[in-house]
Amino acid sequence: MSNKKQQVSRRQFLNYTLTGVGGFMAAGLLVSPLRMAIDPVLKHSSSGDFVNVGISVDEINDTPQRIDWTVEQVDGWYKSEPSRSAWVYKDENGDVVALSPICTHLGCVVSWEGSDQHPDHFYCPCHNGLYTKDGVNVPGTPPLAPLPVYEQEIRDGILFLGNPIEREGA
Amino acid sequence: MHKGKGMKFVGDSRISAERKSQIPKDYSEYPGRTEAFWPNFLLKEWLVGAVFLVGFLTLTLIHPSPLEGMADPTNASYIPLPDWYFLFLYELLKYQFASGDYILLGLLVLPGLAFGALLLAPFLDNGPGRRPKQRPVAVGMMILALVSVIFLTWQSVHVVDWEARGEANKPVPESEVAVDTEHEGYAAYEANCMTCHGAELEGGSAAPTLVGIEYTAEEIQTIAKEGTGNMPAGLFTGSDEELEQLADFIISVNESAAE
Amino acid sequence: MLQKVYDWIDERIDITPIWRDIADHEVPEHVNPAHHFSAFVYCFGGLTFFVTVIQILSGMFLTMYYVPDIENAWKSVYYLQTEVAHAQIVRGMHHWGASVVIVMLLLHTLRVFFQGAYKKPRELNWIVGVLIFFVMLGLGFTGYLLPWDNKAYFATQVGLEIAGQVPFIGEQLRILLAGDATIVGAQTLTRFFAIHVFFLPAALFGLLAVHFILIRRQGISGPL
Repeated sequence: MSNKKQQVSRRQFLNYTLTGVGGFMAAGLLVSPLRMAIDPVLKHSSSGDFVNVGISVDEINDTPQRIDWTVEQVDGWYKSEPSRSAWVYKDENGDVVALSPICTHLGCVVSWEGSDQHPDHFYCPCHNGLYTKDGVNVPGTPPLAPLPVYEQEIRDGILFLGNPIEREGA
Repeated sequence: MHKGKGMKFVGDSRISAERKSQIPKDYSEYPGRTEAFWPNFLLKEWLVGAVFLVGFLTLTLIHPSPLEGMADPTNASYIPLPDWYFLFLYELLKYQFASGDYILLGLLVLPGLAFGALLLAPFLDNGPGRRPKQRPVAVGMMILALVSVIFLTWQSVHVVDWEARGEANKPVPESEVAVDTEHEGYAAYEANCMTCHGAELEGGSAAPTLVGIEYTAEEIQTIAKEGTGNMPAGLFTGSDEELEQLADFIISVNESAAE
Repeated sequence: MLQKVYDWIDERIDITPIWRDIADHEVPEHVNPAHHFSAFVYCFGGLTFFVTVIQILSGMFLTMYYVPDIENAWKSVYYLQTEVAHAQIVRGMHHWGASVVIVMLLLHTLRVFFQGAYKKPRELNWIVGVLIFFVMLGLGFTGYLLPWDNKAYFATQVGLEIAGQVPFIGEQLRILLAGDATIVGAQTLTRFFAIHVFFLPAALFGLLAVHFILIRRQGISGPL
C-alpha cells in the first residue's frame, strides 16, 4: 500500500462487512427462536396462590375434619384440576391448623381416629403409623417426619390454603 | 500430477480429465505388518461388529425394555432413581459433606473438578511420556475417580430391592374396569382395601393395582388376612363370609377387565 | 455395470480422492488384533460409533409411533410395546443401546487415557471426545423422561432440582429446561423431546464429524 493514511485495507473492509452481514443474518434468524425458548424463564410464575377450599372458619371446630378441594393447574395448554385434601381443626388458641393427610412413611392416606385402638391420633392403616393431633409423628411408629402443614390464609371468614410445607422429623 | 499448461478438463468443469488409478496402494511394502483399511482391516472390524450385534440383540430379546406405570405427579411415595450412569452423582448428594449446607460442594465443586479435569486432561498431564508408569499422578487420579464412581454406584444399587421395585411399578393400561358397586363383596372392599388399593382397584402410592393379578380366591383371602410384601397382616377385619365375598368381588372385577 | 456407474459419476464429480481420504489408508500393525490380540482395545471407539448408529436408526423408527404429549406419550409407548410387531425389540434396542453406548464410550475413553494417546498433537481431539461424552449423557438424561412413566417423571424432577441448585443461574436454568416455573408437565416433555431429538443429535453429528476428520488427519497414535 502506498497510501499510508489508509487505515483499513480493501480486504479488511470486505471482511468486516462480511462479518457484519453474517451477524445480521444470524441475529435475524435467532432472535425470535431464542426469545421463544426462554419465554418461561421471563414469565412471572403464579405459584403460591391460595385457593378457597370451601369451608368457613366457623364450621371448623376442635375435632379434625377432612376437607377435599381441587386446585386449578394450568400447564401451558394443558389444564387439569388435581385434587387436594386436608385435615383441619382449631387448636387451643383458636387458630386453624390444616394438615396434609399424606403419611410421610410411604404416602398412604391417614385419618383422624382411624383406628379404635388409637383415639386422639391420626392413624395410617398401611403400617400402623401414628401422629398426634398437631401432626407430629409418634416415635416408634414407621413415619419419620410430621405431617406437612398447609400454608393458610383467612379471608372474610373463609379458609384459603396454599402449598403443604414439610416439617423436620421429631 | 499434471500442472500448469496442458491440463485437460471434463467439459467446462474444474474436474481433471486425467484418469487416476482406482487400485488401492499396496501397503504390504510398508515397514511393519501394515495392511489396507479397506477392505482388509474393515472386514475384521465388521466381524467384531457382527458378533457384538448378535450379543446386543440377544440382550434386547431376553430383557424387554422396562416401562413403569404412567407418570402420576400425585404419587408422593415414589422413590426416584436416575439411570444407572447418573447413580454415582445421585449417591454422592446423599453424603453429609455433599448436601445441605455443602450442596454446592457435592453438586458443582466435586463433579466440576472431576469433569473439568477430564476435559483438560491433555493440558494437566502434559509431559512427553505416554506410558502409565511415566505419569503416575494422572493415572492415579483416574484410578481414584474410577474406584469412587464404581463404589458410589454400588452403594446406590445394592440397597435397592430391584424385584420388589419392578413388581410395584408394573405398567397398567388405563382402567376400563367396571366396578360393580352392587356386588356383595364391594362393601368389604370399601371398608378394608379401598384406602390403599383405590376406588377402581387401580392401586396407589402405597399399594399395587389389583387388576391383572393371578391369584386364586383362596390366595386372595390369605393375602387379605396375612399380608404380602409391603402389606402388613391383619388389615382385613371382617367376618369369614365377608372375606369370601371380597375375594369373589376382586376376581369378578379381574374377569371383567380381561374381557 | 457397477464399474460403469462409478466411472460415470467419477468423470463428473471426481469422487476417487474423496474415496481415498475415507477408505484407502494404511492400518499399522499395533492396532491389528490379527497380529496382537491385545489390540482389541482399539475396537471400542468403532463399537461406540456402531451403537450410535443403532441409536439413530431405532430412534428414527420409534418416532413413527411416539407422541410427546403428557396425555398420550405413555400410551403410545405402551401401545408400541404391546401391540406393534417387533416394536418391543426396537424400543429395546434404543433402551439398551443407551446404556451400552455409555459403557463403550467409557471403555474407549479409558483406552485413550491409559495409553496417553491424548498427548500432543491430539489434545483437541480428546476435548472433542469429552464433549461427545457430555452430549451422550445429555441424550440419556433427556431421553429418560420421554416414556412419561413414574420412573421417568420422578427422576427428571430430581434432575431438575439438581439443576436448580446451581448458584445464580440455577432457577433460570431449571425453568429453561422444564418450561414452567413449578410444574414438570406438558411443556417439560415437549422441551425434552426437542432437545433429545433435534438439538443434541445436531451437536453430536457436528462433534463426531470433527472427531473423525481429526483422526484421519492425525492418524492413530503410535504403539506405546
